[in-house]
Amino acid sequence: MLVANPNIPEDVRAVAADGTQLRYKLMELSAQYPDAIALGRGDPDLATPAHIIEAAKIAMRDGHMGSTPVAGLPELREAIAEKLRAENGLPVERDNVIITTGGQEGLYLVMQTLLDEGDEVLVPDPRYTSYDEAIASAGGKMVLVPTTHEDAFNLRPEAIEAAITPKTKVILIITPSNPTSGIVTEDRLRAIAEIAVRHNLIVISDEIYEKFLFDGWKHFSIGSIPGMADRTITLNGFSKTYAMTGFRVGYAAAPLDFIQAMTRVKAATTGAAASVSQWAALAAQTGTQAPIREFHRIYAERRKLMMNGLTDLGLDYSDPRGAFFLWTNSSSTGIQATELAYLLLKEGRVLIFPGNAFGEKWGGYLRISVLQSTDLLTEALERMRPIIERYRAQESS
Amino acid sequence: MSATLARPLARRVIGLPDPVENTTALPVPEGVIDAAYEALDKGHTHYTDRPGILPLRTQIVNALNQQYVLDLNPDAVTITCGATEARFVALKQLAPAGSTVLHTGKSDALQAAAQLIGVKLTKTTKHPENVSLVYLTPKDDPAKISAWCAQAVTLGWWVLWDVSGGLTGHFHPARLDALAPQVITVGSFSNALPGWRVGWMAGSKAATKLRAYKQSMTICTTSVSQWAALGLEDN
Repeated sequence: MLVANPNIPEDVRAVAADGTQLRYKLMELSAQYPDAIALGRGDPDLATPAHIIEAAKIAMRDGHMGSTPVAGLPELREAIAEKLRAENGLPVERDNVIITTGGQEGLYLVMQTLLDEGDEVLVPDPRYTSYDEAIASAGGKMVLVPTTHEDAFNLRPEAIEAAITPKTKVILIITPSNPTSGIVTEDRLRAIAEIAVRHNLIVISDEIYEKFLFDGWKHFSIGSIPGMADRTITLNGFSKTYAMTGFRVGYAAAPLDFIQAMTRVKAATTGAAASVSQWAALAAQTGTQAPIREFHRIYAERRKLMMNGLTDLGLDYSDPRGAFFLWTNSSSTGIQATELAYLLLKEGRVLIFPGNAFGEKWGGYLRISVLQSTDLLTEALERMRPIIERYRAQESS
Repeated sequence: MSATLARPLARRVIGLPDPVENTTALPVPEGVIDAAYEALDKGHTHYTDRPGILPLRTQIVNALNQQYVLDLNPDAVTITCGATEARFVALKQLAPAGSTVLHTGKSDALQAAAQLIGVKLTKTTKHPENVSLVYLTPKDDPAKISAWCAQAVTLGWWVLWDVSGGLTGHFHPARLDALAPQVITVGSFSNALPGWRVGWMAGSKAATKLRAYKQSMTICTTSVSQWAALGLEDN
């Protein structure tokens, strides 16, 4: 239906089956409208905290502009290890940590270091489609594990168990989740850990949104469960937490042999992360954490506003327990999400990503970010209203 | 924590060489630091566009035009995390596993990447049918460059022209009209700015595909580094 839809331009239709390319295409179109309100990309609109900027400048002033070791600045690796021990309960030392050029590179390197041709990776559906690319690039096979709206997109251990085959090597966990903003709760993580041990599987735990949970939900790291340390690779980064996406600093924590091999892969593919960025990240990690608390307060306020606004529009969304997104059921409009996203952009000047950019079967959903001021979010909701109502009226007539 | 992961690592990483660490810091021109400060003060601390910032891509096409009389559009340029990422992306996307990559001499920059991708490096054209890509630098023997470029036209090989050692000489394989769509130029700012991790890849009919793959690896290159590299122009 999408392929033939005359309401969608050819260049959008051409990439509609590729989630990543579809998101970039919509961002490209959005750039044509200076008044567009961007609720698409997960790039915090808030300014990077001043002490992090200052640290970058001091690094330059002090001449820290040569390459760092490929695995990263020793001081930063040490600070991250300390954080992972204290906050996440992971039994790691400096040598268990590698600095990556952003969280996405962490994921890429992990797959290259871990997967052989045909190895299967269990991935929750819906998902951020960069996982697809990282797995495919390493010759792996993605096996989708269903999650549901009714269950707040929590991962069900029995669904994981049902998807395991002799070729399964990895369970991928993303908590909080992009795009659903659901989390995997501690009880489920403990059950999943038991499955991983019983089937001798590796767990990759992407925890990039760990600092942004709401309504009393708490983050829990699966790698802290006894018996999981030697089968868990934890991914995280500074981009989302500290609003510093452009610095490109992420990290992975894992057993020593894995980190050493991953370092060799990194040397062959991209080299060390930028030096000044790593010094900035060190300030983020070791400096005041007050800005994160303020970011959390701001996101909580925006999230509430958007939840109320969507309810007013008659749109249902899953329980957003973490991250920056409202995973919104748009099926009541009667039109497919790519078409709806395109019309919201063209007619309403609001950029929102369609659900099918996060998995083929999610064409009845939208991913709406709250990474704009409350004024702009209010304006976006007002712009969306007539379009949603018009299509819903057409659908019911 | 145990020293080893509970499952074996991928076969492709077995025997990969340890990184050659070079953490020497060079004096950085004042214009670079000024540009970096200005970028930070202006809030350029978030993702850049996927291809990289337009002024830097424009600077690169201008430099290529000045040195080689190449007429490229900035849209054909992608800023990468050093030349290392550019070379890897080109090899990964254009040289299928099992194929052969032809080169004239030292191949240190390619060896680990070739192992990861599963391509074979060779210095001879004994089996031209297996060659997918030829790796050349301006320092290579001109006679060999000329002969292999001619073969590349006939046999459809990709040409990876690595100028990360500097824009030198005046010959460029993309000046050959029949070959231009198959030529990817790779360059770097690392000679002057080693710790900033800024490189680039330019040209060819595969430019969009290469850019998409770079995006899948690292999204974009460090913003402040890109702005800093722009500050080199004044130097």
